Amino acid sequence: MPSLPMPPWNMQPELTLLARMRQGDEEAFVELYRRHKDAIFRFAMLRTGSAARAADVTQETFLHLMTRPGQYDPGRGSLAAWLCGVARNLARRECAGREDATDPGDLADDATLAQDLVEANGPVERLLADETAEQVRAAIASIAPHYRDVLILCELSELSYAEAAQVCGIDIGTVRSRLSRARAQLADRFSRMGLMHGPGRVKEAS
Amino acid sequence: MNPDIDRLHPAVREARLAERLETLRSALAAVAAPASLEPALVDRFRAHRRRERSLARPRLWWLPPLAMVVTVAFVSWMVRVPPALPVPEADPGSAAAPAPAGAQDAGPFLALKPLERIALEPRATVVATEFPRALLAQWGLPVSPERAGEPVRAEFLYSAQGEPLALRILN
Repeated sequence: MPSLPMPPWNMQPELTLLARMRQGDEEAFVELYRRHKDAIFRFAMLRTGSAARAADVTQETFLHLMTRPGQYDPGRGSLAAWLCGVARNLARRECAGREDATDPGDLADDATLAQDLVEANGPVERLLADETAEQVRAAIASIAPHYRDVLILCELSELSYAEAAQVCGIDIGTVRSRLSRARAQLADRFSRMGLMHGPGRVKEAS
Repeated sequence: MNPDIDRLHPAVREARLAERLETLRSALAAVAAPASLEPALVDRFRAHRRRERSLARPRLWWLPPLAMVVTVAFVSWMVRVPPALPVPEADPGSAAAPAPAGAQDAGPFLALKPLERIALEPRATVVATEFPRALLAQWGLPVSPERAGEPVRAEFLYSAQGEPLALRILN
């Protein structure tokens, strides 16, 4: 009989909090919220491109944790990854109208469609104070959603490939290939935006 | 493809990409969820708990506590107020001797059986009798050795089957 996967030992404190929360312990819920709120908000912000929508997604994600904690299976990954998965689904719902046409088959080699989709939604909301960081964020927002998800999860949310695979419902090999394509698309965007020039090139140009 | 990217060495391109992503990571580190979310979620958590508790509680939740209160009250009343001994029926054909004069002044009956058992007896009979005082010791009553041989006048309450239920000493 195959044995059930056991959660790693370092997940025990969080599982204890989760069990207490399920029994109605408000402090346990608050503790879990404080541990994960910023990561979920950042992920949602990068995914939706809007601070207001990111706040809505964050709230809905923790409401989901509050009302359906039984859906989380510790044997399949960390709570952080599960919350990211919930946030991703909610963000996709938020952006459903804009991302209807982003089927991976259609977008695999189309670098301009997502950019068109972003530009068609009017002026992009400025989310970060740092100019370069904001340009990088805008560049990430312009790549195809299925590549963008993997890039955000692996490069910016510090999830492992396995956790990203769990969040996106794909295998690890697909995560690797999508990440590679995402990086290629991102390099292309950076180049178009003049972000691939290093300090030396800038000095040279001046 | 973008010719600008093609001109860059792959290692340089990767380094620039990593550098830009690091810039974004640093900027994101300063981003936090709005503070207004926490109190709103705590309120929702409390409301959710209240709803869960109300769903978990059966509609007739008050019935078991009420039954317990009624039972306790009834048992307390039973213990504090012993059931009245049944009044013996007048039985003209009975061999029982008539109650001696002055029986009304005698003390109360001492139960030899549980009160519930006596209360449930439908046809109890009072019989006056005499017996040696020493017999009182069998029922745990004090007996003076000097008077152990003296006769004692008493009334027995018998069940219909002839089982002694209670005893009253007349002298």
